[in-house]
Amino acid sequence: MTWLVWRQHRVQYLIGAALLAAFAVMIVVTGEQVSNQFHAAQAGCAAGHGCRHLGGLFMGSKVVGFLVIATLGTPVLVGLFWGAPLVAAEAEAGTTQFAWMQSVTRKRWLAVKIGWMLLAATIWGGVISALVTWWVSPTNAEQLNQFDPGRFDIVGIVPVGYSLFAVALGVTAGALLRRTLPALAVTLAGFIVARVVITLWLRSHYMSPVTVIYNVLGGFTPRGAYWQLASGVLGPNGQPLAQPNNTPYFDGVPQTYLPGACSVMNGPNPPNNPPSACVQALSHYHAYLTYQPADRFWTFQGIETGIFLVLAATLIMVTAVTLLRRDA
Amino acid sequence: MTAAIQTSGLTKRYRKVTALNDCTISIPEGRISALIGPNGAGKTTLLRLLAGLSRPSAGQATVNGSRPRQDPAFLADIGYLGQEIPLYRRLSAEDHIQAGAHLNPRWDSALVRERLAGLKIPLGRAVGKLSGGQRAQVALALVLAKQPRLLLLDEPVAALDPLARRNFLGVLVDAVAMGNLTVLLSSHLIADLERVCDHLVMLASSRVQLCGDIEDLLAEHVILTGPSKDITAIERSQRVVQVTRTLRQTTLLVRLNGPVIDPAFQTSEVSLEELALAYLGEEVPPTPAPARLSAVASGGTTPPYPHEHSAVFGDNQ
Repeated sequence: MTWLVWRQHRVQYLIGAALLAAFAVMIVVTGEQVSNQFHAAQAGCAAGHGCRHLGGLFMGSKVVGFLVIATLGTPVLVGLFWGAPLVAAEAEAGTTQFAWMQSVTRKRWLAVKIGWMLLAATIWGGVISALVTWWVSPTNAEQLNQFDPGRFDIVGIVPVGYSLFAVALGVTAGALLRRTLPALAVTLAGFIVARVVITLWLRSHYMSPVTVIYNVLGGFTPRGAYWQLASGVLGPNGQPLAQPNNTPYFDGVPQTYLPGACSVMNGPNPPNNPPSACVQALSHYHAYLTYQPADRFWTFQGIETGIFLVLAATLIMVTAVTLLRRDA
Repeated sequence: MTAAIQTSGLTKRYRKVTALNDCTISIPEGRISALIGPNGAGKTTLLRLLAGLSRPSAGQATVNGSRPRQDPAFLADIGYLGQEIPLYRRLSAEDHIQAGAHLNPRWDSALVRERLAGLKIPLGRAVGKLSGGQRAQVALALVLAKQPRLLLLDEPVAALDPLARRNFLGVLVDAVAMGNLTVLLSSHLIADLERVCDHLVMLASSRVQLCGDIEDLLAEHVILTGPSKDITAIERSQRVVQVTRTLRQTTLLVRLNGPVIDPAFQTSEVSLEELALAYLGEEVPPTPAPARLSAVASGGTTPPYPHEHSAVFGDNQ
């Protein structure tokens, strides 16, 4: 079976390998540039007044930077170009009948074809992710939120999970619809829906977030590239205070809720140091921060990868049952 | 004699359509059996059920001694070639040969190469770039290379020219003569079938009309020709399959239950083609054609067939 699989799909696989190689060359060449820029910027900061965040500094070539962000979409490519036609194109051409009337069971036919494709998808997702992870590592040293869409999902191990899911989705859509074009559409739509739903509504719930309540005078910043989910101010009685937009804040407390002793701070000539009565009053105000700590990054990567692997496994089971039960 | 194929009550229903209904047949080993019937009679459905490509809705089939199933040993003994001639269009004949060698326990690569070389079909060219007839030849050579015990062929010669057809059927006869091979092939070309087949399965309207040795079937049927008159006497003692009336005479095709003792009728032997047309015509509701006074819709008057290859029914050719 392996011989036939290679003979049938070698063009697909070789094109995939060529794209990977081209991407690798580009990333490695510009990665050096990124690293140099980063160190130069850091040195600049250190010479000035010290800045932890390099903010919106865009590093490296803009084109490559765009390509790196675009690797968000690379997993679905293998779903479209490898997964969807796997069964659908053969069903359309009737060649499943050739394969299934050799001395090979459909189960084995499917296992070998899907097996090699899953391996290829793992390599595809893994290599791209490894390159991207290396390329963006200076950016990540800026300690931006690493759980953000566009950062979290192009590095680490999740791209492998996405790629395997995309292939499984494509194969299943092709097996159920038996036509390539509709299978492509379903694969694209299904992949986007799954990714959006999981990113926007599920990811923040993988583990219960940490909530820290601290005095507004003290301030609190978690270590590392944490993921802030919610924050706010609690009044003297512990009641949450609304946080209107167009209001000046003082120590995180909106002007409207400032204790009377502090009103001078928002007056026409605020003193350099708040009156002690104000400090005394503010000590009863607290702020809270709900967040996912930075050190949960790899746990989250593992959980998200696991979710997509389970989805992929389920889809492959559906394909197997469909092909084994249904008339050829 | 053991049966290569034995079915009982084999039935295949698709949502609303019954493609094959209560099919009970037996095909002895070592024979070339013809599967005939009009389009949509259920020939392809039967072949697919026997190959294990689809599952029966009711009844069962025994093929080479076991139920059609997903098992390498079962599959190794079946050679199936569908009407659509499924081959990988971008792969060459040579690729297919190697694929077959990888996928089958028995495989005769040399046989295919020899056969295709003899037919001057390039081994290295993508199969999709070959002509329809050449593609069919490649597929037939491949299915023979598998060395199955049972060949199920769905209109295998439809795409071939008369010479290639004769040549291929000759190959089939030789292969069967070598032993250990049974063939069931469907075709609309009765003259071809008559030359190579010794067994017949006839389907019409999803049901089995006839199944048996062609010799026996021909001996059981007879054509009676006589004056136009009342035939109730004959109908009482024989099973009349087909009646054709012209102004001057009546022609009956009957299945004999005993000797015909009406001196007004002349007896003559029936050919396979006449037999086939009679049974197939019987299934079609008669449409009165006033000009011809014909009682049957298809082949109401049996025209002579000067060339064997024009002996065609159905609309595939």
